[in-house]
Amino acid sequence: MKSKSVIGVIIGVVLLSAGMFLAGRASVPADRAVTEVTRIKEPTDVIDESLMLALGQAKNFHRKAKVYLSDGKLDDAAAAVRQILSLAFPKGAPEADDVRLDARALLAKILISKGQVDEAMRVVDEGLASSQRESFFTANLYTVRGEIREVRANNLDAEDPSKTKSAPERRLAIEDYDKSIQINERLQKQLMEKR
Amino acid sequence: MTTNDDMLDGAVPEPLDEASPSERAHARTFADIVDKAITGRAPAAMSADDRALLEVATVIRAANGQAELSAQRQRSIVEDALRQAVGDRNTTTSGSIGVIPLSSRRKVAPWAIAGASMLVAAAAMLALWLRAPGSEIVHREETAQVPTSWTSRPADPLVGPIAPEHAGEASERIDYLFADRLDGYRERRLSGRGGVQ
Repeated sequence: MKSKSVIGVIIGVVLLSAGMFLAGRASVPADRAVTEVTRIKEPTDVIDESLMLALGQAKNFHRKAKVYLSDGKLDDAAAAVRQILSLAFPKGAPEADDVRLDARALLAKILISKGQVDEAMRVVDEGLASSQRESFFTANLYTVRGEIREVRANNLDAEDPSKTKSAPERRLAIEDYDKSIQINERLQKQLMEKR
Repeated sequence: MTTNDDMLDGAVPEPLDEASPSERAHARTFADIVDKAITGRAPAAMSADDRALLEVATVIRAANGQAELSAQRQRSIVEDALRQAVGDRNTTTSGSIGVIPLSSRRKVAPWAIAGASMLVAAAAMLALWLRAPGSEIVHREETAQVPTSWTSRPADPLVGPIAPEHAGEASERIDYLFADRLDGYRERRLSGRGGVQ
């Protein structure tokens, strides 16, 4: 019985020592082999299906409007172009701004043809207000606004042949044309510098 | 000399004095008590003086070596002790002498220590295994570099300045823009690189 007790105590002491030794080792951070796994992800601004879908729809609405215009159906043409304004583009896609501004320019032209000058001005002003950046499409919209002001001035000339009333409108039209020219110049300069 | 019944407290008689009748009677009585004590039949009740004398007599007897057990008696006691040690509970104890069993605490203590130590060792090994140095994988994400033609971007470089006489030709421009972006889209999708350069 005594020898058994001694053996048990010895085994216990040995195991306890081993446990403490291993626990001590475990508490010390060992050198770990670090493997770096790099995941290459696509940029978020690549041309994807949703962008192509939106562009394709815009293309079709323009085609539709063109057919209506060739048939002299200005209302239908305007309705087709208005649908482009509500197309869903990928968030942050620069093409969205460009396509919508261009559609507004065409819509304003159609409205001018219909004699809805004020509505044409509203469409253009909304486009310029929503524009995120300067572009050739912004410049084009200023050009269209200048045209609208010219039409307004001509309409005023019909009421007042002395052109007193139309003079301010013509001055504003010139300002819009100037803005368009300035934007075009800045952008062209930027593009030339990038090349 | 005065007689006194109290042998321990009374006067000590001279060595050559004749024993008195009371002393003789007392001696016989005490001798009986000693005889009975030796044979294990000591009376339960006796005077304090007799008990003290009996203890002295027992010590003297043991000191003289006369208290040894007989060989048969010794073997019997040893065998009983061995039987008890191996757990035989049907043994009859030989006389008043038996094996004093180990307390349960003393029996269990070594194994408890060993068991606890094993648990500690197992826990340490488990901790070591769980924290064993292995290959740590660090995930990093990088954005792939792709050609500009694959990306969504302003149409200005493609369209260029729009002349006033072409202000309403949005249909032509959207055709051009669509065709250009479709080229980039197809190139990306058909490159076989998952869009990664």
